[in-house]
Amino acid sequence: MRAYHQSLLMSMLIAACFFLAACTSQSSDLETGTKKDSLVLAIGSEPEDGFDPTTGWGRYGSPLFQSTLLTLDRNFNVQHDLAVDYNVSDDGLEWTVKIRDDVKFSDGEPLTIDDVIFTFETAKNSQSVVDLQNLKKMEKLDSHTVKFILEKPQSTFLYTLTMLGIVPKHAYSENYRENPVGSGPYKLVQWDKGQQLIVEENPYYYGKKSYFKKLTFLFLSEDAAFLAAKAGQVDMAAVPVNLAKEKIPGMKLIALDSVDNRGIMMPFVKPRYDSEKGVAIGHEVTSDPAIRKALNIAIDREKLVEDVLEGFGTPAYSVADNLPWWNEDTIIEDGDAEAAEKILMDAGWTKNAEGIFEKKGIKASFALVYPASDQTRQSLAIAFKQMAKKIGIEVKTEGKSWNEIEKVMHTTPVVMGWGSHDPIEMYHLYHSKYRGQGYSNANYYSNKKVDQYMDQAIHAATQEEANEYWKKAQWDGETGFSALGDAPWIWLVNLQHLYFVNEHLNIGGQKIQPHGHGWPVTEFIADWTWDE
Amino acid sequence: MKYHSISFGTRMAISRKGLLLKLLGLLSLFLIFVIGGSFIGEEQIEANMSQKNLGPSIRHLFGTDWLGRDMFFRTLSGLHLSFRVGLFSAAISTLIALILSLLSSYNKYFDAMVTILIDLLLSIPHLVTLILIAFVLGGGVKGVVVGIALTHWPSLTRVLRAELMQMKTAEYVQISKKLGKSRIWMVRNHFLPQILPQLLVGFILLFPHAILHESAITFLGFGLSPEQPAIGIILAESMKYLTAGMWWLVLFPGLSLILMVAMFEAMGNNFRKMFNPQ
Amino acid sequence: MLAFHIGKFILKRTLKFVTLLFAVVVLTFMLVSLSPVDPIQSYLGAEMMVVSEEQKEEIAEYYGVNQPKLQQFFKWLKMFLQGDLGTSLVYRQDVLSIIQEKFVASFALMALSWSMAGILGYALGVIAGMNKGTFADRAIKLYCFVLASTPTFWIAILLLIVFSLWLGLFPIGLGTPIGVVSEQVTWLDRLKHILLPAATLSVIGVSNITLHTRQKVIDVLDSEFIRFARAKGEEGFTLFKRHVFRNTLFPAISVHFASFGELFGGAILAEQVFSYPGLGLAIVQAGLNSDVPLMMGIVVFSTFFVFIGNLLADVLYTMIDLRMKNGEAI
Repeated sequence: MRAYHQSLLMSMLIAACFFLAACTSQSSDLETGTKKDSLVLAIGSEPEDGFDPTTGWGRYGSPLFQSTLLTLDRNFNVQHDLAVDYNVSDDGLEWTVKIRDDVKFSDGEPLTIDDVIFTFETAKNSQSVVDLQNLKKMEKLDSHTVKFILEKPQSTFLYTLTMLGIVPKHAYSENYRENPVGSGPYKLVQWDKGQQLIVEENPYYYGKKSYFKKLTFLFLSEDAAFLAAKAGQVDMAAVPVNLAKEKIPGMKLIALDSVDNRGIMMPFVKPRYDSEKGVAIGHEVTSDPAIRKALNIAIDREKLVEDVLEGFGTPAYSVADNLPWWNEDTIIEDGDAEAAEKILMDAGWTKNAEGIFEKKGIKASFALVYPASDQTRQSLAIAFKQMAKKIGIEVKTEGKSWNEIEKVMHTTPVVMGWGSHDPIEMYHLYHSKYRGQGYSNANYYSNKKVDQYMDQAIHAATQEEANEYWKKAQWDGETGFSALGDAPWIWLVNLQHLYFVNEHLNIGGQKIQPHGHGWPVTEFIADWTWDE
Repeated sequence: MKYHSISFGTRMAISRKGLLLKLLGLLSLFLIFVIGGSFIGEEQIEANMSQKNLGPSIRHLFGTDWLGRDMFFRTLSGLHLSFRVGLFSAAISTLIALILSLLSSYNKYFDAMVTILIDLLLSIPHLVTLILIAFVLGGGVKGVVVGIALTHWPSLTRVLRAELMQMKTAEYVQISKKLGKSRIWMVRNHFLPQILPQLLVGFILLFPHAILHESAITFLGFGLSPEQPAIGIILAESMKYLTAGMWWLVLFPGLSLILMVAMFEAMGNNFRKMFNPQ
Repeated sequence: MLAFHIGKFILKRTLKFVTLLFAVVVLTFMLVSLSPVDPIQSYLGAEMMVVSEEQKEEIAEYYGVNQPKLQQFFKWLKMFLQGDLGTSLVYRQDVLSIIQEKFVASFALMALSWSMAGILGYALGVIAGMNKGTFADRAIKLYCFVLASTPTFWIAILLLIVFSLWLGLFPIGLGTPIGVVSEQVTWLDRLKHILLPAATLSVIGVSNITLHTRQKVIDVLDSEFIRFARAKGEEGFTLFKRHVFRNTLFPAISVHFASFGELFGGAILAEQVFSYPGLGLAIVQAGLNSDVPLMMGIVVFSTFFVFIGNLLADVLYTMIDLRMKNGEAI
């Protein structure tokens, strides 16, 4: 049976291959030298668009390679970065900004006001997420001063100034996104698409010098990031909730509070046809304020955090919890099934034979849609379903792709997530003029008083004034878009962003993280240290 | 060898009986797997946070998942779902194969058309065509069923077509033609009865492919909504929990699927042996 | 003489293929344009929220999504013939270079699996055929049967669990080690990353060639000249070497070439499980993200790939046929 022997030989060969692979698979650990001045991080997804601020890079957090005119510190107070001074005209239409004169790009060229003007022009004309439609024109007042002239007053223009990194006019081309020359703390050394990004400190940086000279960012899936952390190959790794309870020797778990929230958007109007947009809108059941209020009170948010997020989160009562424009009065007592049922009964709902509420022959029942690819939202939807069942409201959960969600979001509740450092998000979500425009105000919410307050916020002269109006829009004592008022949304939880961090690495205090983990955590990278 | 001394007839009877027994066994498995699955109520596969992430035990035969859902019942539901999808798509595919093979035996022109169509479909890898169709129809059950139905008829059509070609030249067909019988009469009385066994076998054998492809396309993310406990979805979602060590989420659903698919394959093969005792 | 026949054969087939390819292209385009896809949404993704309607209009203009379908098709066809397959929405690169990049990875994977499956499958088929009726034969038949009922991606996941997670012998995915600069990636590294996906595909890919070879071996063993050889006292390995091998190898390879379609399909699933950066992973991403140019590009390409496989299979088969007719040894 020589054929038999042949195959035996072959299997031995294959086994030898395995053995060889095993022997050489000792993890190629990083050298842990004495002075640690470089870091390896697996914290976020690769920006497919590259590193061009004019197409949206660095809006959430820090652009790393570039610098912005202004920044927001940990307490959301405005600080100067490239700018040394700024002021806004009384009518809110003219913003004058004066910049430093000692700034150089990473290629040694000085940063002038022409670069600023160039950046804003390029951003405005790029077909991207950076929305500068309201910027009418810019006037160069002198070599270090520019005047931005807006079409209409916009208090949130301030946030644009904190989010748009400045690009060099002389070094800008269509390849800029892969070769971002900037005035930020680091410069790009090498980018292997789909694999990693290597950056080194920018010798010309005018700000505080960072502890770490070299950073390597690895683009790994959540599983791979975790395994890399376990193998000691990275100093910091972003992990999903289900891996957060694992133990990695030499690493600690850091959970950062965020405004990365999840909530349910409920169609606000009764079913009808929007002839202008040509779509059907509204839902018979969710348009009843009693239903929305009852659900808001019945949901036990703490339990959601416990069950779905394993404790790594906080209850969410609004889209902007703990941000300067948040109205704290809008926190409600929840988890109260009795009170919830009372609200329903007072509004004329009665329980039928199956224990589901009914009114005028209509069952308190609706479908709840979530993006099929998102595990957390699915779990939240299912948990929500069970809590709703307890108070006699029937919920049917369905996973759909974003394409399909777009088609049904005007008529069906959807589990969505938001969370921005710019209050204009609230404007987009709750102002009646955005009804039916893309994902903004897709549930057709409108309240004239709320509109008024928010318009006043936009036209406000100072941030403090603006914040007062934002808060009034949420609840002014009688009405508002929070759970105390119209309750067009049922906000559920704020996620925490989870990272395994090397014990010796100190990442300092962090701002409340926005929607989407990863890059925002590097905002204060200049303050990170390594404690031996 | 003693076997040769038994008469041909007796041998046939014995092997036929053996086959019959095998088929009966498979049929009962079929009933358990497939029909039983339809009896599983919502409560058994409901989420139960207090029972999260448990390994296999007496109480939860296949363990539970990250939402506390019992994996055993979920798997059975999933098999039932796969069966229904498989049934629907296999039926449509078989119907298409029947129509096209009859069409191609009608005249040379149709035959050429059908052959071109077959070649066209077979020149693209199966899964690629499936992805394309599912993508076009926007995924979901619709996309999966239509996709599978539209990609599995070629091989069966080829077989039926060959069979029909052969029959056309047979004596009794020539005689009927001379006697002036209409085409439809011939189809009903000659062709259909003759190819019925092939059709049945082909139909049953389509199931394994349909089910495997359905689970593949669902696994990739093109298929049914994540609500449904389809095996492909169960396996795709479970991949996220492998690093957390929950291996039972993958092992048992997979084994169950293999069992069900193998069952259909065996049934089909046995039916074929029964019809063609060679 | 043989070469001439083969040449003519290939030419005819190629012409047929080109027409077929055109049909595929038209069909694909038609299907895709029917799809309920919003390319703008796939570009913007989560950023949809904070962008105004005017911005979206501008983006739509830019990507040319508002033109009539026929116009779009001709535009695409023209670009295609010039070698420009458009730009991928997902990877922001031109489709041709993406396909080139990823093809290398996928080709390595498929070539390795195909060879391994071929060798293993042929060996198993011979063993089964030459020992018909024994335990080994039954075991091999059972193995093939079970394998044909097994989902490829499940095997992939199992291998991942056992060899990568539990035993830690292999990386859990990707094509190259993480954090290593491309110049420093060694052949051993690449081998480690490719081995598990290749093993998956090989394990699954044997059943066809095994069963075919087994049958062929049985047929050969049943023939006249084998009986003659046996009478001369030949048996076992010598029998195999002298007669069986020569008559079964080429048919086996021929059948194996025809499995390119299945191979590509399996590669899609294996790449998905192991996050291996090949064409399979790319087409899934394209489909899920409504990346039409990329999808069309890969569909066309995979058709080409299957064609090559079938062509080689048929050429080989014709060669065998012609030789047999001429009474030559195969």
